[in-house]
Amino acid sequence: MVETEYEGIVKMLRFFVQTKNFSYVDRIGNALNPEPVEVTLLEALRAFRSIRESASIGGDGRRYVEKDGNKIPVPGIPSDEEVKKFLDDVRSDMGVAKLVATLALSYPSKKENSGGDEWCF
Amino acid sequence: MFLSVGVRFEANVEALNMVETAGNYGKHRRVPYLVEEDGKLKTVYVPAISGESLAHAYQEHLVREALSAGLPVCDDCQRGEFYKSMNKVHLGKKVNPIPDDPKAIEEAIVKACVVEDVGGFLYAEKPPVRRSSAFQVSYALPVKSVALFATSEPQLHARHAQMDASSKKGNASEQMIYYVETGTALYGFTFNLDLDAVGVSAITSKPVLDGDEIKKRREVSLKALFRMLSSSQFGAKLSRFFPVGGITELVVAVTDHPFVVTSPIYDDYIEKTKRRLEVLKSFGEESFLVVAGEEKVPEEALKEAIDYLNEKGAF
Repeated sequence: MVETEYEGIVKMLRFFVQTKNFSYVDRIGNALNPEPVEVTLLEALRAFRSIRESASIGGDGRRYVEKDGNKIPVPGIPSDEEVKKFLDDVRSDMGVAKLVATLALSYPSKKENSGGDEWCF
Repeated sequence: MFLSVGVRFEANVEALNMVETAGNYGKHRRVPYLVEEDGKLKTVYVPAISGESLAHAYQEHLVREALSAGLPVCDDCQRGEFYKSMNKVHLGKKVNPIPDDPKAIEEAIVKACVVEDVGGFLYAEKPPVRRSSAFQVSYALPVKSVALFATSEPQLHARHAQMDASSKKGNASEQMIYYVETGTALYGFTFNLDLDAVGVSAITSKPVLDGDEIKKRREVSLKALFRMLSSSQFGAKLSRFFPVGGITELVVAVTDHPFVVTSPIYDDYIEKTKRRLEVLKSFGEESFLVVAGEEKVPEEALKEAIDYLNEKGAF
């Protein structure tokens, strides 16, 4: 998988894409200035926390949600350092937001079984 | 004749347009909004109610008014499921066999259903047939001057289930907490109705119904708007989040040709609308304007507009 400095955010947005909720990734990818990115990330993190807390825990101890009969792994919550760096970088270069949204829409080059480092945060 | 209505309404603690539920969190629709602060424009996110939501409510009222006037409404629309003859399955319920000619398809749909006549449809088969809606509705957005006071705030609620040790399963909780994001704002929206489009083909621009039927349909279209505004029956979650407030101002303009009132999100919208109509008058175009505010209630203003249209022979 392509490494970026915003891996947690990419994984979180990819999770929303897998659950067919394109709203956050579209709003971040299409933003023309930093404000929509900030608000969207806040909303995405809030929704993601709620989903993660109510997600089922499988036999392997990992969290997942079921959608259309598929089990979708719930990745970890992005770290505060990563979120801050992302927002700081977006304020100086809007291309960062587009990159993150584009990566979230792509297939990861390596299969993500767990969906992310859910134990780390 | 073209009717345009600008509505301002105050809604405190409303959940009129929820967009998604994530876990135990139900979100209100929000939109980016340009406001001016210290001479600079900035974007803020404010609670909003979509035009789709308002249009759905209007069409539900249209169903009721049409049925009570003995006018035809198709089965799908009667159920409040506005598929609008989108494919062969739905169109087949109205006309069978389905004609090949787009004009014949449109005529069959218009004759069979008032909602699809007034609200338009898209038959997405071969040949595709599209009919634009005769009514238009904007998003409801906070009034500009007070947009920064609009709020979107989650309220905590809980559902309680009495559980003893025998009925408790797994880690089920006796209390389920959930959040409903409520909006509070002074909203404004615009509603337009092109009465000349009712019962008239969008393909040939010729009437597909007789004159009496067209007049009846125009009348129910207006009554549906009256009922929707008068009853505040629009938006979601009314059973527990019926907005506290009501219409504070309303302006109705009736013109011979399309004219839209200045958006009620601006404080001077009534004055601007009046001035714009004066210009139309100088071109020899007749118009009618009524304002509901401190002196008139919204129902009185709407009734005056309906009476004016009646006098003009619109129905």
